[in-house]
Amino acid sequence: MSIASGRDAAFMRDNHTMTGRPGSWLRRILRAPFTRRTWAELAYAIVSFPLAVGALVFTVPTLVNGPLWAASAPGVRKLGAAHRSLARTLLGEDVPPPPPLRPYPVVHVRTPDADRLVAQAEAKGAKVARNGNQVRIIGLPVSWVAELTTEERIAIHSLRPENKLGWYRGAIRDRHTWLARSYFALKLPVAVFQLVVAAGFLLAGLFYLTYPIWQELAKAGPGLGTGNPVPLAASFLFVPLGAFLLLAAPWLAHGVNELDLVLMRGLLGPGSPGSPGSPDSTVLTERVRDLEVTRAHAVDDSAARLRSIERDLHDGAQAQLVALAMKLGLAKEKLDHKEKLGDTAAPPDLTRVAQLVDDAHRSAIEAIAELRTLARGIHPSVLDNGLTDALTTLAARSVVPVELVSDIPERPSAAIETIAYFSAAELLANVAKHSGARRATLEAVHVPGLLRIRVTDDGHGGTSPVPGGGLRGLAERVRTVDGRLDIDSPAGGPTAVTVELPSHA
Amino acid sequence: MRIVIAEDAAVIRAGLAEVLGDRGHEVAAAVGDAEALKAAVAEHEPDVAIVDVRMPPDHTDEGLRAAIAIRRDHPGTGILVFSQYVETRYAADLLAARSGGVGYLLKDRVANVGEFVDAIARVAAGGTAFDPEVVSGMLNATRHASTLAALTARERDVLALMAEGRSNSAIADRLVVSERAVEKHISNIFSKLGLPPSDSDHRRVLAVLAYLGS
Repeated sequence: MSIASGRDAAFMRDNHTMTGRPGSWLRRILRAPFTRRTWAELAYAIVSFPLAVGALVFTVPTLVNGPLWAASAPGVRKLGAAHRSLARTLLGEDVPPPPPLRPYPVVHVRTPDADRLVAQAEAKGAKVARNGNQVRIIGLPVSWVAELTTEERIAIHSLRPENKLGWYRGAIRDRHTWLARSYFALKLPVAVFQLVVAAGFLLAGLFYLTYPIWQELAKAGPGLGTGNPVPLAASFLFVPLGAFLLLAAPWLAHGVNELDLVLMRGLLGPGSPGSPGSPDSTVLTERVRDLEVTRAHAVDDSAARLRSIERDLHDGAQAQLVALAMKLGLAKEKLDHKEKLGDTAAPPDLTRVAQLVDDAHRSAIEAIAELRTLARGIHPSVLDNGLTDALTTLAARSVVPVELVSDIPERPSAAIETIAYFSAAELLANVAKHSGARRATLEAVHVPGLLRIRVTDDGHGGTSPVPGGGLRGLAERVRTVDGRLDIDSPAGGPTAVTVELPSHA
Repeated sequence: MRIVIAEDAAVIRAGLAEVLGDRGHEVAAAVGDAEALKAAVAEHEPDVAIVDVRMPPDHTDEGLRAAIAIRRDHPGTGILVFSQYVETRYAADLLAARSGGVGYLLKDRVANVGEFVDAIARVAAGGTAFDPEVVSGMLNATRHASTLAALTARERDVLALMAEGRSNSAIADRLVVSERAVEKHISNIFSKLGLPPSDSDHRRVLAVLAYLGS
């Protein structure tokens, strides 16, 4: 019922527009020269001409060599922005800007294992330059290089992005700057055409529309003579031509401007997300790669955790229980022995049995303690009451005195709480083990969207994430939920390690 | 019996030495890793070596690989693999090299000291001692399904006990039947497996091997 009536309504609407169309077209054609839009289009056609000339004049001399490509890139982008803003102001066409210039990834690594790093980086398609134990990797983001060194267990002494060279190479290769340059090249003929159409048609139209007047003026004053006067009646024949040119000018200007906009959207915009190599797809590709890497970490991490739990069980509680069963078995046999053989047999060595039971008892207690520690390592039950309670317990258990500052008005998601808890545990353990600190502070602050855990200590500083180390592992775990780890640890201290996590994983 | 123990968990190693010592056996060496095990076996030539599967450095199957090497290099030494897990592949690997003087027990079995020491004695004497769980794990493996289908449920029980290393009379006791009935079941098993009549002990081993997937 409702579908049928909807269809009827649509049909009627169509019908109505169809009957109304010829009249409205005529009105539009006649009114076109006098609309605001038309004047804006004409103004655009005229104003963009000097801008196009200026852009080309700026661009052409900078095409000489690489350094000039790089140096002119910001200017080229500004000129592109000027074109976009002109189109926005006069044509109402909002072409979004391309992504900003980015440094091309150049990473400087100092490593004792340079040979392997070079081989690995080259295998990933990077350009590599090597000088002794210094390796420069071009084309792999810093995070990738860090992953690579972790995965391949390549020791690194330092790893930092080389920004100056990165910006230079980034500016030279920036795809959008080159697209803008090609726009400028294509724009000039378009701009000439725009100018001719807009100014030419407008002026010629006005001229012919008023042709009889000019003719009469020419007859009156010889100074204005055209040399070949036309009779007044004949000169009126030019009036329709003038009207035609005036009426046609808006449409032609509009058409040429549309062509300009097509070029602008394609060459000065961010490009379509679907096309390969376009910035959006680059961003997406990077995101996908990042997710792939962090997901692999998450999987590896949980597999490693399961393995270590299994190891702990196997070597700890399970072994304790086997030993316990063994001792009780032996004790039982000694007691059974008496039952089987009756009173005639020698009485069981009760001291020995008591000793076996005592050993078994001890094994049982040890197994219980092992299991408790292990269970807490899997999921601390105090975490169920919220992060503040859990961190209070953690701070209280620490060997180094810890002051806890906690401001968590709303609870983050359970996964984030767990990661935050284990991060704090790892950081406090590091303080106790390595820092030589006398006291430490544990801060936990949750603002909407962000949970920040920070551990500061007054130890000797100089902490850095070594491959395979706890901090590196922590950084990787934190990255799996799009969090980050920041270490500020100058030699001599103090050390502040900050873990930032999203509220929800 | 002279025994070498290789087990990385100190608490179990000490417990085993205590149990075996208590029964009057000589524990020639109790070591914590595979290399030390091979050295101890070469030095003491024990009747049997009790070997944990997972040992340092990698905690995977170092013990098993050492056990296979010992079977090859020291035929006189029985091997009792001792693990917290049922891994049918391990048992198959062990049996692949030689059919007798081998065993695979779960660590749980040590709780019954009497049976555990009996199993060690069987292995030392060149017999087999497979944990019921190991045997049933192997019998359940799909690749045996077709051959297994030919056997009756009772014949399968008998075969499982044979694989554990039990004698006919022990099997008869366990299944509460006469020894005669057990012999009949065994001969049915032999014929269904197509094992030619020959030395019965040899056929017994072959029957077990056929099912344990050597």
